Amino acid sequence: MLNIYYGRMSEAIFNTAVYFKNVYEDSWITDSFSKEMILDVDKSIVLGNGVIDSPVLGKIAPVSLSGGVKTLILMKNEPQKIFNASTCGNNCAKWILKIGEMQDITINLRHLMDFGRSSFDIHILNTDQVVHSMKELVPVAGIFV
Amino acid sequence: MRGTHSVMVQNKRIRYDFDIRRNLTIIQGDSATGKTTLISMIEEYYENGPVSGIELRSDKECVILSGRKWRNDLAVIQDSIVFIDEGNEFIFTDEFSASIRSTDNYYVIVTREGIPSLPYSIEEIYGIRDSGKFGALKQVYNEFYHLYHAGKRQEIKNFGMIIAEDSNSGYQFFQSVVERDIICKSAKGTI
Repeated sequence: MLNIYYGRMSEAIFNTAVYFKNVYEDSWITDSFSKEMILDVDKSIVLGNGVIDSPVLGKIAPVSLSGGVKTLILMKNEPQKIFNASTCGNNCAKWILKIGEMQDITINLRHLMDFGRSSFDIHILNTDQVVHSMKELVPVAGIFV
Repeated sequence: MRGTHSVMVQNKRIRYDFDIRRNLTIIQGDSATGKTTLISMIEEYYENGPVSGIELRSDKECVILSGRKWRNDLAVIQDSIVFIDEGNEFIFTDEFSASIRSTDNYYVIVTREGIPSLPYSIEEIYGIRDSGKFGALKQVYNEFYHLYHAGKRQEIKNFGMIIAEDSNSGYQFFQSVVERDIICKSAKGTI
């Protein structure tokens, strides 16, 4: 289940790029799920441990991935921690939903992310409500961001 | 600082070309559009100059503000375009908003979270988009684009009453400027 806390949350890791730089493991990058996310969001191909082929930047290290993908990889690999998901653009939303379907995660959002038109299950921690569409989510989350 | 200032920053692989029109500009948008890359290139140019391999053209100095020493750094930055990447939580503090009001810099801030203490226009919220290859090089050309529009301004004609939501400055403003035959009422915060 995907749990979201909207608004400021002191226990959330705010600067996910710095955290990622200091904790990521090579296996997180070469994992097939990460490869799919990196290809979809960053349009980049994971060549091997620590090397990613970016169409714009050339051969890059994992720390040079986009802020959004780095946060997605953290959510997937450290589900016990709470990350600031406002470092993710709307093009990361479907991956956040997928990670939430695979495992229980809690994220902190400080803006209204667009989770798309399909139905979903999101538990909003602020009000302890489960919402299933953006139409249900916006009036609840909008109060807090 | 006043007016519009153009900034061009490029290396062999990527080029950004954009205008900064107001003192506060916000950059948002999808992940992987090059927001952090732009900030990194400006920082590398600022630290190393042309020997960085980066070319930067602007009539104002472009600087980066980040980290815990932001107060000290900001105190000596004048007449510059100041870029702030996401991950800098100080931008949400009252101290920061008060500090930048007494400066003559322009600020370009990367954040998806709103900053209620800063008065920026929705017209100055931009995304970055890839506009294809630039010139003969295999260089990606990026530009800013408006994420939101305030809509077309229309002149409203033939009305007899203005209802101001509040009872203070908004109401007092309209009461002072409307023509004599137009009634101005306050809703006293009830709408």
